[in-house]
Amino acid sequence: MTSAPAAPDGCVSGKKYRRRIVKPVTDAFRPWRLAHVDLADGIAEPFTDDVAGLFVVFWLREIPLGHLALPPGSAPRNLGQLKDHIANAVAPAVGYRMFGEAFRAPLPLRPHMSSPPPTLALEQLVGCTRPLETLGSASSGAPPEASTTVIVCTHDRPERLRTCLASLAAQDVPPMETIVVDNDPASGRTQPVVASFAGAHYVAEPRPGLSIARNTGLHRARGDIVAFTDDDVQVHRGWLRAIEHVFRDAELSAVTGLMLPTELETPAQLAFQLNGHGWGYRALTFDPEFFRKMSGIGAPVWRIGAGANMAFRRRVFEEVGLFDERLGAGAAGCSEDSELWYRLLATGKRIRYDPAAVVFHTHRETADELREQMYAYMKGHVAALLFQHQRHAHRGNLYRVFLELPAYYIRKTAARLLRGRVPFALPITAQLRGSFAGLWYYLLHRAEPAWTAPAPPKVDGP
Amino acid sequence: MRYTILDVDILEPLPAVELGPGSAGVAVLVRRRGIPVDFWMEEIAGPRTLRPEDVAKRIAAQAGQKLLAASIRDELGSEPAPARGPKVTVAVCTKDRPEGVARLLDSLELSRYACPALAHELELLVVDNAPSDERTRELCVERRSVVRYVREPKQGLNFARNRAVAEARGEFLAFVDDDVVVDRLWLDGFLAVWAAHPDAAAVTGQVLPLELETEAQILFERRGGFRRGFARVRYGPVVLGNSLYPGGVGIVGAGANMAFRVDALRELDGFDEALDTGAPMPGGGDLDIFYRVIRAGLPLVYEPRFLVFHQHRRELVALHRQYRRSWAFGFMVYMAKCLRTDPARRMDLIRLVGWWFSKKLWQLQKAVRGTYALPPSMVAGELVGGIVGLCGGYRRSQKRVERIRRRHA
Repeated sequence: MTSAPAAPDGCVSGKKYRRRIVKPVTDAFRPWRLAHVDLADGIAEPFTDDVAGLFVVFWLREIPLGHLALPPGSAPRNLGQLKDHIANAVAPAVGYRMFGEAFRAPLPLRPHMSSPPPTLALEQLVGCTRPLETLGSASSGAPPEASTTVIVCTHDRPERLRTCLASLAAQDVPPMETIVVDNDPASGRTQPVVASFAGAHYVAEPRPGLSIARNTGLHRARGDIVAFTDDDVQVHRGWLRAIEHVFRDAELSAVTGLMLPTELETPAQLAFQLNGHGWGYRALTFDPEFFRKMSGIGAPVWRIGAGANMAFRRRVFEEVGLFDERLGAGAAGCSEDSELWYRLLATGKRIRYDPAAVVFHTHRETADELREQMYAYMKGHVAALLFQHQRHAHRGNLYRVFLELPAYYIRKTAARLLRGRVPFALPITAQLRGSFAGLWYYLLHRAEPAWTAPAPPKVDGP
Repeated sequence: MRYTILDVDILEPLPAVELGPGSAGVAVLVRRRGIPVDFWMEEIAGPRTLRPEDVAKRIAAQAGQKLLAASIRDELGSEPAPARGPKVTVAVCTKDRPEGVARLLDSLELSRYACPALAHELELLVVDNAPSDERTRELCVERRSVVRYVREPKQGLNFARNRAVAEARGEFLAFVDDDVVVDRLWLDGFLAVWAAHPDAAAVTGQVLPLELETEAQILFERRGGFRRGFARVRYGPVVLGNSLYPGGVGIVGAGANMAFRVDALRELDGFDEALDTGAPMPGGGDLDIFYRVIRAGLPLVYEPRFLVFHQHRRELVALHRQYRRSWAFGFMVYMAKCLRTDPARRMDLIRLVGWWFSKKLWQLQKAVRGTYALPPSMVAGELVGGIVGLCGGYRRSQKRVERIRRRHA
């Protein structure tokens, strides 16, 4: 053998990196691109702009099937790459819609508590060569006949409210009535906005508190179904149709839906979006069985849905009571919705989460607002757990407050010290302070009644 | 005590499986039209016969969602495979394992036959690293119409790899270890990635077990083996939710099955010869090259279709040594090097080292209590190896390697 040619010049033992080094992308944040793709129209655009992060939601006509969140540097370069992502993102939802329970989403249970799903026959899977086409051709059945009241509670956000009401007016299936409860009537800015929408009724509720406002709306509602949404939200045009469709199951008392972002322009919005509980694209039923299984450690009712996208049969309020006015924005800060779901489950009712009911939410924009929100969230969360214990004497709530939450904080802090700051993490300190604030709030307010008699109905505007 | 390995394609009739009395379970590789979709291991006490229906049920339960994703991917439409691919050099760096090389060359022939787009320009290169006899050379002389033989006298795997970098005539250079067999569709997998990601500077592939005959092999594979999942992933500078990346670069692939654009390798000055030197300093060499590719801003793509089967160490003693030396010691030496040469990421790297040690301690306490897949002696060995590696392991290796270079100059 001839002598080997010289090895590549000075192999890198100990040499400092001479290559151009990429700056970490979290240093210079750019707004993410948010897009919606209808797979029934075919995929034309590969989203090759690699400058910003990418958040794409995939639909099949009116049904959301999955999404993709790609940081800068991972954007697809061509259609083939995008299609790889799509197939993986939508497979669970497509499987669930086509094959039912064999592809069901896991409930937020402890691992040893969940039973394995029923198995599917392999021939069905193999024979399914065009799943999206099959799914698209499935008819949604006759339009439901139900009377729905939509309630929007607002507090001095007239421009956001205008967008919200416009989206409500654009519904495929219009509600029987729309009630806007103004929790800050003294500002005078809400009434003109409501007046400009023909179908919306204005109700003033000067006593501050989101739960109080919700209850006032309830007292005015006439529909069999009551659907709530918030003033910083725009609803999808099929929102009510999806809700009414789900309520065809007579055994359901409440329905919650999917919340998607309207924009991802700031790090705070991304942190909120990426750390959400991963509400999936597959429907889930929360029933007394789930509640019973989780009662030892406190059923995680905060994962059932969001107060910005929830609906109830109006008569259940007569059975279980109204929203707890000690909770919610303006009071404990949050969790008036999850506490009500807890009450429903505790009295043997069933709740269904269905991603076909979609709203678009504008997340808090600045880091300070996010910290405030996390503070309020944990304050309301801890207060709700203690009020739940007060009402039902379920020890699982105490377990959650005094054992599981501290363990969560210790784990998060240890992870932060060991692994460093993960990009777009939620502020822990604000959550911790909120937890203590919730404890204190409970001690101060535990002797108060959960709800009071409604104010006498005010006369509507002309 | 063995696991029977099943390799089934769901679009073909499923076989019945005979599990003999020595059988402890099955490992199933499911494919769809030849493309690997999922792999899992299941304990089933033998002797037993699994009917095709039983196999079908297990496949539906384990891999149902992945199979559906594959159907959806097909439905979304694929571009046709290119008729001609780039020129690829496949390099086998070997030392004293002619039977392994022979087996590998046979499998490469099958793969070449199945992929005409790459076959016409494919170059096979055997780099014989400081051999103690001529068996490998004789084997290559026998097959000289398909294989080029080159000898690298400086002992060390990365010396051999750099020799391959210097000798490669192709646009891409793929490395496969001599204890590996490539899948029939291995070259097809590479072609698919090249067509979808033409700018990729590095491609890593899936590594599944060739056999699960001994306790050591089963233990290693149950703990994850070299598997990296069945979804194609393009790695950039950031992985969402992973703050230990790219220091913890092992997630992107394994050195037993990797390919690079040759000019990218040459620009990066090849492999670091103070790492992956074989006996005194095994391991770390593949991690280092992946790290430098990513830190240079070049794309790296992991492709599960780019599949090989690896013969894991058969004896527990050998596995023990591998954990301690290659993966703990080697990893820490690579870390020590990165700490010295990449000041921009120093904080992340320090945190990664801290995280690694605390993870090992956690695993150790689990192993002592009997709830971890490995015995405590192996975890303790890893800890020892890691500490030794971190304390000057890289500098010692550099000195050793300098001596080797001088000896052969």
